[in-house]
Amino acid sequence: MNAVDSVPELCQRLISSAFQRCRVSEELCRLSVVLNGSRFCSPAVTRISSSCDEDISNHNLNLKQGNSVNWMKKLPSIPKNGLRFSGTEVCLNVLEKTEFLRDKICSFIQKMLILNIPNVGFELLVHHEDTTGLRLENVFRPNECSPSSFPTSSLEHLESGFVDYVLRHRHNVTRDSGSHTSTMEHLKTGIGIENSRSSGLVMEAVITFSDFLDHVNPCMMECGPRTEVLYFRDFSPSKISKSSLHGLMSIDWKSYGLKLGKIVGQEDCLWLEWEKLPSSACIDLVFHCYEKRPMRQKSYSIRTILKKAAKLALDDLKEKHTGFLLSDRTVKIRSYAPDLAKTLAGLILSSNDMEFQEECLSLLGLRSQEVGDGKVEECIKDKIISVIELNDRKPQGCKDAAPFLFKYGDSLELDLEEDHDEVEGTFDSFRLQAPSRVRAQCE
Amino acid sequence: MEDLCRSSLAFFSDQQLYYADVLCPSEVRARMEVAVLNFLRILNSPEPAISLLPLIDRRSSNTRVSSGLLTGVPWIFLSHSFCTRSLMKANAAKAFVRVWKVMELCFQILVEGKQVTQRELFYKLLCTSPDYFSSQLQVNKTIQDVVALLQCSRYSLGIIASSRGLEPGKEEIDCSTSSSGYAISGDLSLLDNLVMRTNARYIIVVEKHAIFQRLVEDRVFNQIPSIIITARGYPDIATRFLLHRMSRNFPELPILALVDWNPAGLAILCTFKFGSIGMGLEAYRYACNVKWLGLRGDDLALIPQESLTQLKPKDLQIAKSLMSSEILQENYREELQVMTQSGRRAEIEALYFNGYDYLGKYIAKKIVQADYI
Repeated sequence: MNAVDSVPELCQRLISSAFQRCRVSEELCRLSVVLNGSRFCSPAVTRISSSCDEDISNHNLNLKQGNSVNWMKKLPSIPKNGLRFSGTEVCLNVLEKTEFLRDKICSFIQKMLILNIPNVGFELLVHHEDTTGLRLENVFRPNECSPSSFPTSSLEHLESGFVDYVLRHRHNVTRDSGSHTSTMEHLKTGIGIENSRSSGLVMEAVITFSDFLDHVNPCMMECGPRTEVLYFRDFSPSKISKSSLHGLMSIDWKSYGLKLGKIVGQEDCLWLEWEKLPSSACIDLVFHCYEKRPMRQKSYSIRTILKKAAKLALDDLKEKHTGFLLSDRTVKIRSYAPDLAKTLAGLILSSNDMEFQEECLSLLGLRSQEVGDGKVEECIKDKIISVIELNDRKPQGCKDAAPFLFKYGDSLELDLEEDHDEVEGTFDSFRLQAPSRVRAQCE
Repeated sequence: MEDLCRSSLAFFSDQQLYYADVLCPSEVRARMEVAVLNFLRILNSPEPAISLLPLIDRRSSNTRVSSGLLTGVPWIFLSHSFCTRSLMKANAAKAFVRVWKVMELCFQILVEGKQVTQRELFYKLLCTSPDYFSSQLQVNKTIQDVVALLQCSRYSLGIIASSRGLEPGKEEIDCSTSSSGYAISGDLSLLDNLVMRTNARYIIVVEKHAIFQRLVEDRVFNQIPSIIITARGYPDIATRFLLHRMSRNFPELPILALVDWNPAGLAILCTFKFGSIGMGLEAYRYACNVKWLGLRGDDLALIPQESLTQLKPKDLQIAKSLMSSEILQENYREELQVMTQSGRRAEIEALYFNGYDYLGKYIAKKIVQADYI
């Protein structure tokens, strides 16, 4: 664990540790952070209290007290008198402005809440002392992070927490606001998890995609071609490592119809900038890497498991929501669907063979009365597009497998090489390269 | 004639040969309807898919050469390899749609009982689907795709060759009375129904229209009893059809070709002689035993050196392609070698150096001496 070099970082470390303790205990926990703005304090002394079986033990920590032996001073214990509770309390005095600390802690907590660690209620209380007197601000309330009643995996907690985060920060929508439901309809999510047996590490990934193209979202704060990548390590917000960065860059974004422009790093934030993403579309990403088992090998590469987890999340989103994150190739093919449908419909409707027409309509699930108003064309188009989009999700090898329009005998050789569009000159068509002589004989 | 072709095919009985059926409109429409129904069935199946179009491969790798035992004239045909058109290949998806578009148009033509030329089809498609069709060549290629898919002749699709406007309904032509020749109809059924009589002794196939005109004006056919025919450049199916019919009707008449001394001229001769892959499934039909009258290497002595021009890269390409084909006979090969080694070419018009009426004398002399290969 790296040393901290600022008060906000110290607070974040303590809060994070408290979260871990709550998480590991698997019991209902309340985590309270109280900021008291006071002019009188002794910054050197930190008081630590922890609850044992019968008593609450107290210690003072003073790093300026001579040598290290004297740093920790035990104070008298306080009996619990039969009450059953456990916990730890740390009181430290710091020379920082209350508002500054509050903002830093808030920002940290908002990220911590993404992990949506179950059974933890968090509150942040700030006591302001100003000209009007003492004022108490309740920044976070425990019921804002309502624990999940059903046991779910860490990944599902992450998904739920991240969706709340995205709604709040991107779309200014909370769970109890009126536009929550309609916004949720436009928000697509995909999740992925990858285990590394060799290193004992787990990588979880959640991707959200929202596109308000056909829906006016007045609450939208900011969309556009930038994606903030959030990263967590062992249940705490963390800076993204170089290895993870390489993992991000090596993802085949093209097969999801995305083109990565550049990656911009600012302080603790990492942004992906996209080329040609519509301004109405938003993509958000979060990764969480943690040790499931003690790590077996010292050196490991996060790049691979991050890349795999991201791919699983992207594939999951595509699987759940047809028509999203289509590769450029598929989008191009799909653009021909209307013309093809129109041609087929034209062929069907210009026939004077009623039996043929009826059979076609029956295959399309239409009745003969429904022939007008472009219904035939529309129906064929929808079916073709559905097949094209389904094909986009197939692995590369299966993409091209399809039945032939006509069946022939076994004697034919199927050369599945595409006959590419060449402009043949009139003389080129004469080419007779290496023909084989056929003697007059029967097969 | 078709029966004759069929029976000669049956004799050679090669199951590897794929040919285009000549069908009546209702049969072609039926095949197109089956195509649509199959497409919809596959689209609607439990594992829905967009079917692949299997087209008989028109590349040289799928061509075969057959030597007829009776006729002695080799001809080319397409064998059993298929290639496919798929919507699921982004760069070839347009070609896939083009096949259906041409099929739709041909279907409508057949329903209305009409016939159109390839040119008319091109303009129609240019108007209705400009994003898909931008050149005549593209249209022609797509038509061949439909032929290869449905395995029926182009003519069965309601497409006639570019019409040069023969008077409709005329079943008899008396060429001896004409002073400027008769245009060849693109309507193959009309050509098929022509009643032919002749007192000619030779058939002369001429590469260029200008030479044809010269010969007609000079009434060369009075000096040498002959039928003169031209396709005005690359042989179209109507001319080949007519030549083939004539060769069947008058089997004793030698067919002699007068082409420029360059690889392209030889290629034209070979197309009349062996057929062409570009004709796809109809390649084999119209091969005739054509002999090379001129211009040949020996005739270069008759023309001034200045009239020899440089071979172009395209000429060399054609030469290379001709050289590599087994079907080319040895003496043609030698002529080609002289062309490529000297790097020179010459046009028939070079003979005019000796006088405008020299051409007739040249042909006459060569025929009398049986100087053709």
